[in-house]
Amino acid sequence: MKWKEKDAAMYLAEKEYVDTAVIPLMPVTAGKDMQDVVKSGEFIRYFTEYLERQYAGRVYLFPAFTYIKTKQVPEEQLKHWQELLREEGFNHFLFITSDASWRRTSADSFGELFWIPAFSVENMEVQELAKTMEQQVQQLVPLMMDMWQSEEK
Amino acid sequence: MSEKNHRVSRRQFLTYTLTGVGGFMAAGMLAPMVRMALDPALEASGGAEFVSVGLSEDDLSEEPQRVDFNVEIVDGWYTSEQSRSAWVFLYEGEILALSPTCTHLGCTVNFGTNEEYPDQFFCPCHFGRFERDGTNIPGTPPTRPLDVYDVEVRDGMIYLGQINQRG
Ligand code: FES
Repeated sequence: MKWKEKDAAMYLAEKEYVDTAVIPLMPVTAGKDMQDVVKSGEFIRYFTEYLERQYAGRVYLFPAFTYIKTKQVPEEQLKHWQELLREEGFNHFLFITSDASWRRTSADSFGELFWIPAFSVENMEVQELAKTMEQQVQQLVPLMMDMWQSEEK
Repeated sequence: MSEKNHRVSRRQFLTYTLTGVGGFMAAGMLAPMVRMALDPALEASGGAEFVSVGLSEDDLSEEPQRVDFNVEIVDGWYTSEQSRSAWVFLYEGEILALSPTCTHLGCTVNFGTNEEYPDQFFCPCHFGRFERDGTNIPGTPPTRPLDVYDVEVRDGMIYLGQINQRG
């Protein structure tokens, strides 16, 4: 489900089935690194949108957690998101990012951190983009299945 | 500028704005009505055109095959190409093209990915299952069969049209 009114209504009606929050972690900057940061952001956006389409009934794709790119990523603030969503019934948290800074944080202790190197998708046709994202998302599927299985013990 | 003037101008501003918005909304509502009145065919087709999926009739077997193709989607104020998929195969001599969207809450189903049920469509989200012809299996979350695409064969090639609900 996406950040859309229709999906929010569906979520509220079917809450018990939607237990996974997907949160893209998206740095912002201006200046000389901007193109690179935007490129990664675009990749993460397509990646998470593809993921959402495959698992729309169990996954809620939130708007990106957006922050200014510095060495110190705002993990406390992310934790607040997680706590709020946990209180509302989400059980699994998937943080998806190309920003390597998150690997040195505790994000993995209150959710699953999936770090993936981005590449440019700028010149891809729709069909090629879909194929590419399918392959990229495949890398995440085992992690997600494990995450889901761990609960159905 | 005097206080009085200021108030008037603010009220005028609001009036203009509201008229503007109202007019805009009325135009938005009228436009489709006018279009429908002028061209009923636009409505009847449901907007879905038949698109080729790059598969010929001879490529089909009883084994469901996934095909990917593009359709035009209007989302908010963007019109964009989006990829779509279908499972296409022969079922009792007819061409069947099923939508991969689970009728429970919309995850994407795959064929034969659950080892225990190799001859069924399987939804990984809440373990929904469907028979080969798309019929939902009682006791799993989906409550209606997978949707079907309209199918057309033109010069031996498969074309898919709009998606229809069953059951
Ligand atoms: S979305 Fe397929 S079983 Fe729930």
